[in-house]
Amino acid sequence: MLNEKFIEDIIMVALSTGGDFAEVFVEDRYNTEITMIGGKVENSISGRDFGVGIRIFKGLNSVYAYTNQHNKDALMDMAIKTGGAMQGTKRDMELDFVKYDYRNINPIECLPNSVGKSQKVAVMREAYEAADGYSDRISQVIVRYLDYNQNILVANSEGKFAEDERIRTRISIQSIASKDNEMQTGLYSPGAHMGFEFYDKIDVGQYGREASRIAVTMLGAEPCPSGRFPVIIDNKFGGVIFHEACGHGLEATSVAKKSSVFADKIGQQVATDIVTAIDDGTIPNAWGSSNIDDEGEPTRKNILIENGILKGYMIDKLNARRMKMDTTGSARRQSYKFAPTSRMTNTYIAAGESTPEEIISNTECGIYAKYMGGGSVNPATGDFNFAVMEGYLVKNGRVDKPVRGATLIGNGPDILYKIDMVGNNLEYGQGMCGSISGAIPTNVGQPMIRVSEITVGGRSGGK
Amino acid sequence: MDVDRLKGQIFEHGKNEGFTDMEIFHENNSGFSCKVFKGEIDNYVVSEEGGISFRGVHNKQMGYSYTEKIDESAIKVLVEMAKENAEIVENEEEEIIFKGSKEYKNINLCSNGLAGIPTDKKLDFIKELERKAYSIDNRVINVNDCIYNDYENERGLYNTKGLDKNEKSNFALSYISVIVRENDEIQNARAFKICRDFRDFNTESLAKRVVDRALSYLGAKPVKSKTYTILLENIASADLLKTFSGIFSADNVQKGRSLLKGKLGEAIGSMPLTIIDDPFMDGGVAGRSFDSEGVASEKMSLVEEGILQGLLHNLKTAKKDGVESTGHGYKSSYKGAITVAPSNLYIQPGLNTYEDMVSSMDEGLIITELQGLHSGANTVSGDFSLAAKGYYVKNGKIENPVNQITIAGNFYEVLKNIEIVGEDLKFAMPDITYVGSPSLKIKDISVAGE
Repeated sequence: MLNEKFIEDIIMVALSTGGDFAEVFVEDRYNTEITMIGGKVENSISGRDFGVGIRIFKGLNSVYAYTNQHNKDALMDMAIKTGGAMQGTKRDMELDFVKYDYRNINPIECLPNSVGKSQKVAVMREAYEAADGYSDRISQVIVRYLDYNQNILVANSEGKFAEDERIRTRISIQSIASKDNEMQTGLYSPGAHMGFEFYDKIDVGQYGREASRIAVTMLGAEPCPSGRFPVIIDNKFGGVIFHEACGHGLEATSVAKKSSVFADKIGQQVATDIVTAIDDGTIPNAWGSSNIDDEGEPTRKNILIENGILKGYMIDKLNARRMKMDTTGSARRQSYKFAPTSRMTNTYIAAGESTPEEIISNTECGIYAKYMGGGSVNPATGDFNFAVMEGYLVKNGRVDKPVRGATLIGNGPDILYKIDMVGNNLEYGQGMCGSISGAIPTNVGQPMIRVSEITVGGRSGGK
Repeated sequence: MDVDRLKGQIFEHGKNEGFTDMEIFHENNSGFSCKVFKGEIDNYVVSEEGGISFRGVHNKQMGYSYTEKIDESAIKVLVEMAKENAEIVENEEEEIIFKGSKEYKNINLCSNGLAGIPTDKKLDFIKELERKAYSIDNRVINVNDCIYNDYENERGLYNTKGLDKNEKSNFALSYISVIVRENDEIQNARAFKICRDFRDFNTESLAKRVVDRALSYLGAKPVKSKTYTILLENIASADLLKTFSGIFSADNVQKGRSLLKGKLGEAIGSMPLTIIDDPFMDGGVAGRSFDSEGVASEKMSLVEEGILQGLLHNLKTAKKDGVESTGHGYKSSYKGAITVAPSNLYIQPGLNTYEDMVSSMDEGLIITELQGLHSGANTVSGDFSLAAKGYYVKNGKIENPVNQITIAGNFYEVLKNIEIVGEDLKFAMPDITYVGSPSLKIKDISVAGE
């Protein structure tokens, strides 16, 4: 990384034109990605990312510059140019770094770079064989493996000097099932803020079989009916509904400029009283966890909604100024190529009291979304959409035949008032969330929930 | 430390470590981006970055590596990582480092009409754009995104077979999103403009386009769930084609991820459908004279009057099918491995005006915007179910705006159900590819609403 004195010099130069806050972010990261197609390793790529970002604020104005130059002259030059975008005179200040010593909530047992590539391939092969062997209908299996070791340093003109090491590991299994001229896919992608020990804790074969089971089930499925139905959304990745429908609207990125439907609603009821939602960057070794955020603040457990009442937002430093509120340890970025902003970490709806059996048996007619695909939202209107990867009809309180090609659409604030049952089986799923500060690892989670009415888009006409 | 000096040392070290053929790909990017919010510069980003990637054949297998830290340490790191990677790869086909094509077309992808524009002018432009958007109508309550970006990319490809190519390109993008309110109803619309000459940006027309669009959505409601004929507006249609453009990749066809297997020479679309890939297209953001393997680029027809004429190939997929590479070997950046991707891909415009297409509809929907393309579209099966916005058309006239609906279908069937192709070719926001389409009239689309 860069030494303390050098970073201090950069910050002082960056503030020489009237900025009131400056921050340096240094990233050094090693990546490994292996792709196995049809049981053979097709590609293996490894590499090193390295770069520096400099950010300066003056009031609500912000300037960001990044480079992967690493020599002193080039970086000082960049600091001068970046500062040049601010017009003003230097204020007197002194800088005294306080090294931040944090608790390590994400202990790593086995560093990815201490494990030979052939061991990584062996894990992939186990997943491949389980997926491929599931059924004769499986025509292709693609297994992707990735790990990375990201070392970051954040220092700022307030004296903050903090470092963090994020090690993340993930395997993704995509099964394709074919019959005649039709194909369906199933996907499972578990991941964690862990080293190679992750594979001692999970059974990759089980995930491989699950990916294939989804693909084969969907191959026989009929097109989903369209219209408005009660929808039961299962746990784990089902939490993507809250992530898309509400989570993005609670990020300061959209709240601060009042372009979110949740702006100015703290203390007000925004959901049914059985809904409690949390963003928690401190869950040990979880996919979306880190010790500190990308502004150097310790991550926290932030209650967003408690028993239906809006309690808080996720806030980064710049938006904190705009909103005149405190930061929440939620500033994240994909890499040094992005200025940080408020983002989700591990976001979930807390467990309720109903059992999954009760929820299903209380639903006369509707759709059961067992596994969700991804989705997106327009934070300005709250309109969201997301795809159902594995869905079923529900008839007379029982899960009926599978249906494919369903998309759920609706409006975030509206849907929160329609959650009428919350299960007791909270679990998480892993995803990559894309927004203005890049693609970052996020956990979504929830127990099984029921929404009294959602518009379901499918291909087989009205109900 | 510059790449010119490093590359000789990397090749030498690689040779000592047992690599036969080797290649270095190098990229330098510089960018500027600014965003304005209520008259203030809200975000201002300058960047200068790049990296080098190495790939080489070791015991008949290709190993890849890259680094963004370009110094002496890179020599050892790149070669070692690539060797370790080559050792686990299990490809049966021959790995190829290419010696070069006979001829390359000379094209200019880097305009001076952009490179020389001072920052102040760009800031003035983006502030003016925001001001105009607010001034057009007092129902505009928020210009939530008002952004100007420009990029310059320089890439170089050198290998031990003697290839030495480089190319520079640039483009600029302006993007605006507005929120309008009437009573308690909120609507939103977005618009963008891409060009290589700063003078092509016009604040008046961009602001008017986005505000008019947002206002036109006021009063939007879902329609009845049933099957409709739709007029898929040019940018929405380009977005859909972009999402499914991978079906034309020979790599996907060979690996069972595209249903175009064995369909060459067969009708896969309706008569009015012709799809072109043109790396030399004027103003094409994905333009190039050579691909990521060094093969000379060429213009080609993928589909002509509905008949599948060809697939996109790189060297490896071409060899497998016994054809020549079409120059579509693609690396997303120095971080990627060689895959296949189109350059500037578009549906060839027809002769029909937008107005004529609307008036030809008894009952139908104009679809202006699609959402959830990354999740609601299955690029393998072709199935899609996407949130959409637009207008309801009755007897050839727009009756009311429509939202909170989904449109669902199968892309392979859509190609066959295109009835009319418009004259109004437009391109979607660029990412790895630059994809365009005119507005298309398509029958039999399932719509879910009420």
